[in-house]
Amino acid sequence: MADPIHQFQLKTIGQPLFHIGGTEIAFTQSALYMFAAVAVITVVMLMATLSRSMVPSRLQSVVELLYNFVADTVRSSAGHDGMKFFPLVFSLFIFILVLNLAGMLPYGFTVTSHIIVTAALAGLVILTVIIYGLMAHGTHFFGLFVPSGVHPLMLLILVPIEVISFISRPISLSVRLFANMLAGHIALKIFAGFIATLLAAGAWGILSPLPLALTVALTALEVLVAVLQAYVFATLTSIYLHDALHPGH
Amino acid sequence: MGKAFRLSTEFIAGIIAGAGMGWGLDQFAGTRPWGMIIFVLLGFGAGVWNVMRASGFVRPPGSPDAGGGS
Repeated sequence: MADPIHQFQLKTIGQPLFHIGGTEIAFTQSALYMFAAVAVITVVMLMATLSRSMVPSRLQSVVELLYNFVADTVRSSAGHDGMKFFPLVFSLFIFILVLNLAGMLPYGFTVTSHIIVTAALAGLVILTVIIYGLMAHGTHFFGLFVPSGVHPLMLLILVPIEVISFISRPISLSVRLFANMLAGHIALKIFAGFIATLLAAGAWGILSPLPLALTVALTALEVLVAVLQAYVFATLTSIYLHDALHPGH
Repeated sequence: MGKAFRLSTEFIAGIIAGAGMGWGLDQFAGTRPWGMIIFVLLGFGAGVWNVMRASGFVRPPGSPDAGGGS
């Protein structure tokens, strides 16, 4: 049976670019996929908005729907003044969406199944929250960690809990996306492997349509998960940005 | 499935963050093992708090429909 983990292996393209402290930094297929995703997004967005007609073309209405969808998410989760962060949320959403869907292509590589990529994206979000919160509200930003209307003695326990809760946000944000993509692709690979194993096992081959049907169903589910996880990431980003905009509650 | 996965990651992330903070404090201040013990317990609390917030059980006043999820 094919190794289900093999698909996540990084392959370097060409020679290592340079060395940092004995570790070689190389251009991998992961980086290639990210560059390709940015290129695809840029080309589609430019083509859709090139001729801004009143009666939108097919491509233009797709992009307009996408815009409205993300804008509604930001408005409902981060509030109206959260719209200044719309470019960030939209970029994150569309980047993760395209990378997730690229992983669904046959022979495709799923960049978001590597925790270092999702952790970097989550770190970007949380750093934005902290830096903007400190810039806009100063020390008042730390009111986020002090629940109001509580006995002062309880604050001794509640403040550390709130701080840990805040630190756990980037962890849960990155682990959720990474684990969903990793688990889904491994399950898909294993069930697809069953087809070949059963076909090679003589009379048992008669059972091979069962895992085939399951693989088809799982593929549909994985497409759903790919879109859903991009949406969840965007929603949670907006909720966290809401805290940066209105820290005192 | 999305909702269940979200809640479980919220809980586990709280514990990981608490354990990491406790471990770091022990390394830094040499208070082993007390920092780890106290902060893992606080991490459990933070994990439960995360889950309650994510499921919309508690909602900070004035926030518009937080904890949407999927």
